Amino acid sequence: MNISPKNTLLVRVADLVKFFENVKNDFDIFIPYTSNSDNDNLFYKKFRENLDFVPNKFRTIDPIKTLFYFTSEKILPISNKKRKRIIFGVKNCDIQALKVLDSALLEDNFVEPNYKMWREKSYIISSDCTDILPSCHCNLFDINPYPTKDSDKDAIFDLNFSPIDDKFLITIGSKKGEELVELLKKYCSVSNASAKDNDKLESQYAEIRKKLTDNNSEYSSNRKYEVIAKGDSEKKWKEISEECVECGACTNICPTCYCIIVNDESENGKFKKVRTWDSCQLNGYAKVAGGASPREKLWERFRNRYQCKFILMNQNFSKLGCTGCGRCISTCSAEIDKREVIQSFQEV
Amino acid sequence: MDNPYEVLKADVLNVIEESPQIKTFQLKLEKPLEFQTGQFVELSLPGIGEAPFTPSSSHYQDPTKMDVTIMNAGFVTNKLHQVKAGDILGIRGPYGKGYPLDKFKGKDILLLGGGVGLAPLRCLLLTLIHDIDDYKSITLCFGARTPQDLIYKDQFADWRKINKIQLSRSVDEIPKGEKWDEKVGVVTVLLDDIKIDTKDAVAVACGPPIMMKFGTYALIDKGFKEENIYLSMEKKMYCGFGQCRHCVMGKYYACKDGPVFTYDTIKNEEKIWE
Ligand code: SF4
Ligand code: SF4
Repeated sequence: MNISPKNTLLVRVADLVKFFENVKNDFDIFIPYTSNSDNDNLFYKKFRENLDFVPNKFRTIDPIKTLFYFTSEKILPISNKKRKRIIFGVKNCDIQALKVLDSALLEDNFVEPNYKMWREKSYIISSDCTDILPSCHCNLFDINPYPTKDSDKDAIFDLNFSPIDDKFLITIGSKKGEELVELLKKYCSVSNASAKDNDKLESQYAEIRKKLTDNNSEYSSNRKYEVIAKGDSEKKWKEISEECVECGACTNICPTCYCIIVNDESENGKFKKVRTWDSCQLNGYAKVAGGASPREKLWERFRNRYQCKFILMNQNFSKLGCTGCGRCISTCSAEIDKREVIQSFQEV
Repeated sequence: MDNPYEVLKADVLNVIEESPQIKTFQLKLEKPLEFQTGQFVELSLPGIGEAPFTPSSSHYQDPTKMDVTIMNAGFVTNKLHQVKAGDILGIRGPYGKGYPLDKFKGKDILLLGGGVGLAPLRCLLLTLIHDIDDYKSITLCFGARTPQDLIYKDQFADWRKINKIQLSRSVDEIPKGEKWDEKVGVVTVLLDDIKIDTKDAVAVACGPPIMMKFGTYALIDKGFKEENIYLSMEKKMYCGFGQCRHCVMGKYYACKDGPVFTYDTIKNEEKIWE
């Protein structure tokens, strides 16, 4: 699994700020910052010099889709005059989530025009995790807490930043990444990484992987997913979903959930359509005119999220719809832990 | 298509009252919209909302014209029923897959329809009639709740005149004061009298969920093969092409994989009739 980044470069952390300051007129720059109340709660915010941003650590509270697939967005007509953006500090669970969204919104039988535009306008600088949250479990899906470039094809990230002492080790992921490096060189001194730097990175990798394995030692990693849709599991799903209050937080916060409703807001003879996130957890989601609903009961809606992520998405896009970011776990007011739900089906 | 949500303007030329609950809207589109019978469009009432419909006119018709037959069944369709000739609607599509007409060639074809389910079937029927030489025969079994609820009332006489067409109709009940001299009973009673070799025939069913369910069982009973029974599924389709995910049935999307499925494809998915 461990592929050493080749052709890596180094840039000093202090220089990076200089870079952002210099390009902020050409790009909208989004970076994780801590919320004032809680150091563990990171949120993407627009770059401002006087704030301390958090380049590494762990995932943000807000899923990456909030920057590519807004809660509500006009889809007709499309407005195209958007500025270029740099999104810095994206963690690998969200990079993998973008892969899922790409499959669904770009590579299926249609191209979602807004998503495509935001993808094209965005330069993604991902970064390694240096710490974990209790809900983090990417390792259960064979996802590493650090993005790597594993093939000759362009990666989802354009650049990846791995912290080494007071510097970042840069991996170039794509042609857009090469463009960015040229821009970086204009404002920062960039040097080549040494073998020692790469060794250091390897040991950091091992360390963070160990943290994750320890964190999730109760859960088996070779889990079977077909079992969750077994015909006789009704009683079990009822029990599991008993405390669910149907708030829909788990789907809204999930970086790979992309269900929407479409509203017609045409006026004065001009057609206008707006799409807004929806949640399969809410009653009424699949109801047709005339009132029939295929998922009438709470447990059926609750189960649907699991079937969708672990069966339907896999069938349609050959990848799971979960990247182990753990957001649905930390947000759930009923304290339902997805890891435990899946695990409970492994033991029967 | 650059934007899959692109909308065309549709002028309402005429509104035909088919039954107390069902109207046909004759539309003139600002640009041609080509479709294959079986596909659907999203029709919108500007500022109010949109809903999926299968056209009820033939795909051989002038592509700037289209008929859509709509039952007053929910919020959007209720508002659509207030639309008058001269009003403007929005239309986008087509979405989904059409009927595999190639597989119908040379065969006996049976259309089983109930209520507003006759609308998509009329689109198919008109297409079949256009190429009538390609098919062995067409059997129509149409039902409605009462004689008044039967739609396309003035068109049956013409269809009955066509040599290769057998047409029978039934109503569930005859309210006082209404006249009816054809069959009484749920639409599946009509299957008792069909005169085709069902082993090699194709059946297409469309109607309310409960009719689709019992219709399918009755067709199997009559000897139709599961892979020859085509069902036009009604699910909530907001986007039309697999983005919104509201129409998912097990591993299929009613919109992009359907809306027409053979029974053997979907029979193992949960709750297909709801
Ligand atoms: S299902 Fe939960 S853990 Fe998986 S990607 Fe979505 S929010 Fe993250
Ligand atoms: S976050 Fe928890 S309570 Fe809310 S809908 Fe999801 S499972 Fe139910």
